[in-house]
Amino acid sequence: MPLPLIPLLPLAAFLLNILVGRRLGAASAWVSVAAVAGAAALSVRTFLTVAAGHAVAWPAPGAGTWLPIGGDAFRLGLVADPMSATMLLVVTGIGALITLYSIGYMHGDPRYSRFFAYLSLFTAAMLLLLLADHFLLLFVGWELVGLCSYLLISFWFENPAAADAGKKAFLTTRLGDAGFLLGLFLLYTTTGTLRFSDLAAVAHDPSPWLGVAAVLLFCGAVGKSAQFPLHVWLPDAMEGPTPVSALIHAATMVAAGVYLVARTFVLFEHHPAALQTVAVIGGITAFGAATIAVTQTDIKRVLAYSTISQLGLMMLGLGVGSTTAGFFHLVTHACFKALLFLGAGSVIHGAGAQEVGQLGGLWRTQRVTAVTFLIATLAIAGVPPLAGFWSKDELLAAALHHGHGVLFLVGAATSALTAFYMGRLFLLTFAGTYRGHGHPHESPAVMTVPLALLAVASVVVGLPGSPWGGHAFQRFLGEPHPPAPDLAVMAFSTVIAALGLAAAGWRYGLNRPLLPAGLRAALAPWQRAAAHTYYVDELYDRWIIRPVLAATRGAFRADQRLIDGAVNLVGTGTLAVSRLKRWVDAVLVDGAVNGTAALVGGVGSLARRLQTGVVQHYLLLAAAGAALALAVALTRGGL
Amino acid sequence: MIPLSHLLTVSIGLFAIGLFGALSRRNAIGILMAIELILNAAALAFVAFNAYGIPAADRDAALGQTAALFIIGIAAAGAIVGLALVLAVYRHQRTIFADDMHLLKG
Repeated sequence: MPLPLIPLLPLAAFLLNILVGRRLGAASAWVSVAAVAGAAALSVRTFLTVAAGHAVAWPAPGAGTWLPIGGDAFRLGLVADPMSATMLLVVTGIGALITLYSIGYMHGDPRYSRFFAYLSLFTAAMLLLLLADHFLLLFVGWELVGLCSYLLISFWFENPAAADAGKKAFLTTRLGDAGFLLGLFLLYTTTGTLRFSDLAAVAHDPSPWLGVAAVLLFCGAVGKSAQFPLHVWLPDAMEGPTPVSALIHAATMVAAGVYLVARTFVLFEHHPAALQTVAVIGGITAFGAATIAVTQTDIKRVLAYSTISQLGLMMLGLGVGSTTAGFFHLVTHACFKALLFLGAGSVIHGAGAQEVGQLGGLWRTQRVTAVTFLIATLAIAGVPPLAGFWSKDELLAAALHHGHGVLFLVGAATSALTAFYMGRLFLLTFAGTYRGHGHPHESPAVMTVPLALLAVASVVVGLPGSPWGGHAFQRFLGEPHPPAPDLAVMAFSTVIAALGLAAAGWRYGLNRPLLPAGLRAALAPWQRAAAHTYYVDELYDRWIIRPVLAATRGAFRADQRLIDGAVNLVGTGTLAVSRLKRWVDAVLVDGAVNGTAALVGGVGSLARRLQTGVVQHYLLLAAAGAALALAVALTRGGL
Repeated sequence: MIPLSHLLTVSIGLFAIGLFGALSRRNAIGILMAIELILNAAALAFVAFNAYGIPAADRDAALGQTAALFIIGIAAAGAIVGLALVLAVYRHQRTIFADDMHLLKG
C-alpha cells in the first residue's frame, strides 16, 4: 500500500503549479483537483484496509533513518490507524470538493495558479500531519500547515487588512507552537520516545512532568485550534479567500489541535489536571465564542466565531474524557462547517457583499446555495437526524455521564446559542427582502455541485456514529462498548436546538422582540462587550503589544545611545590621536628633514657663486692663490 | 756678459704679459697665445739659471736647456690640444669667446 503517495500527490501538484503554473493557466486548477482526488482515492483504499483490521504503516519497522538525534534515530514513518484513516477521508474528501469549488470562486484572479499551488501544499502538509507516526514528523506537517495558512490568509496581500491578518495568525499560532515544542522536549527527556505507538506504554509513568508536557502540547492545540486565549487570529483570518476559510480555518487545519489532543489522549488520561485544563479551556471558548457569534454582522465572522465555539465543544468533549465524542464532532463539524463557508462564499460571489445588512432575500435568487445552507444550519444547530445532532448529543451525554455537570450546562447553553445564531444568520441572509445594491445571481455549477455533495455528507455522516448505526464509528475507533443511548439527553438536546431556532425565527423571521424590555436593558452591557469580542484584542494591545513595543523602542534607544555612543567615542578618540600624530609628523619630523635640506641648499648656493663657469676667473683665482702662497712663503722667511 | 738679473727681468716681463693676456683676453686663441708667452718666460728662466745659478757639474749637463726643450715640446702639444678644443667648442657653440663658455656654471 503506497502510503507516502497520499501526501506526495498534492506535493507534486504544488511543485508543478509553483514552477510552471503560469504557463498552465486554467489547467493549473485541474492539476490540483486531480492530485487531491487521487489522494482521496488512495485514502479510501487505505480506510478500507484499516477497516478490515489490517495495520497500514510505512516504511516497515527498522527501515532507514531520517533524523538521528542523540542515541535515537527518527524514521520518516507514516502510519494509518482508525483515527488518521478517518481524518484522511475528511481532509481529502472535503479538500477535493473545496479545490473544485475554488475553480469558480477564484476565477479571473491574477494569481490563480499560485492559489492552487498553496492549496495543494496545504493539503500535502495536512496529510503528512495526519499520517506521521511520531511527534517530530507531525510537527513538520504542523508548521507547514501554519505556513500555508499564513500564505493563504494574506493571499490578497495588496489589502493591508489581509496582510496584517496573515501576520497575526502566524505569530499567534507560533506562540502556541512554542509551548508545543517545549512539550516535545519535556516528553522526550522524560520518556525517551516521541513515537505515538510508545505513548500508551509510557503514559503510566506517574511523573508530574508528563502532565506538564501534556499541558504544553495542549498549548500548541490552543494556538492551532483557536482556543481561548489564543483565539484572536481566527476571526481576522477571514480576510483570506473563502475556500481557504472553509478548508483551513473551518474543516481541517484548525481541527489539527483537536486531532493532536485526541492522538495523545492517553497522556492526558493519566493526568486529570491536564484533562481538566482541556475541558475548562474548551468550555470557556465554546460559550464565549458562541455569545460573540450572536452579535456579529459579517457573515464570515459569524461562521468564524461559530468555528471557534464548535472547536471549544470538541475540546470540551475530549476534556471530559471521551475521545470518540470529540473526534466524532470534529468529523461532522468539518462537513457542515465547510458547507457553511462554501455557502457563504457562494453568497459573497453572487451578491458581492458579506455584511448581513447588505444581504437578505437571497432565497429567491440563490436557491441551491440557500437550500444547502439551510441543511448545514440545521446540522450545526443539532436537529435530528442530521450530522450535528448525533455528535453534539454524544458530547453532552459524555459530559453528563463523566460527572461534569457544569460543563454539561455550558455545552447545552452553547448548543442553544449555536442554534440561535445560525438561525439568525440564515434568516438575515436568505429570508426577507434584499437590502443590497448588487444583482445577486446563483453561482456556477462548479461551485454548487460541491455544495450539494457536502450537503449530502452533512446529512448522512452522523449516522455511522448514531445508536441507529450501531455506534459503528465509535467501534471503529476502538471503543468496544459505546455508552447506551441516553434518550433523556437526546430529547433535551433536540429541545434546546428547537428552542434556539424558534427564538431566532421569532426575533429575525417575524421581527418580534425576543426578551422583555427590562431584561434587555440589563443584558445590554453584556451584549456590547460581546459585540466587541470581549475586548480581548484591545486587552492584548494594551497589556502585551504596547509594552513589548515600548520595550523594543527602549532597547533601540539604548542601542543607539550606549553601544553606538561607545563605538563613536572610540572613533572620535582615534581621530584626535591621528590628528596629533599628523602635527608631530608635519612639524617635527618633516621640519628636521627640510631643515637639513635647506641648510645644504644654502651652503650650496653660497658655494655656487664661485663657479662662474668662466675659465679665466678660475685662472685668476689660481694665480692669486699662487701669489698669496708665494707672499706667505717669502714673509715667513725663505722658500 | 749679460747679468742674470736682466734675463730674469725679461722673463718676469714675459710672464706678466702672458698672465695679463690669459686673464684679460676674451678670444680663446688669444688666451692660448698668452699661455705660450708664459711658457716661454719659464723656458727663458730655465736657460738663464743654467748659465748662472746652478753648480758647475749640472751646468755641463745642460739641464736647463733640456727643460727648455721639453717646454717647447709641451707648448707645441698644448697648442695643438688647445686649438683642437677651441675648434670643437666653436662647432658646438658658434663662439670662441671664453666668457661665453660657461656651461659648467654652478
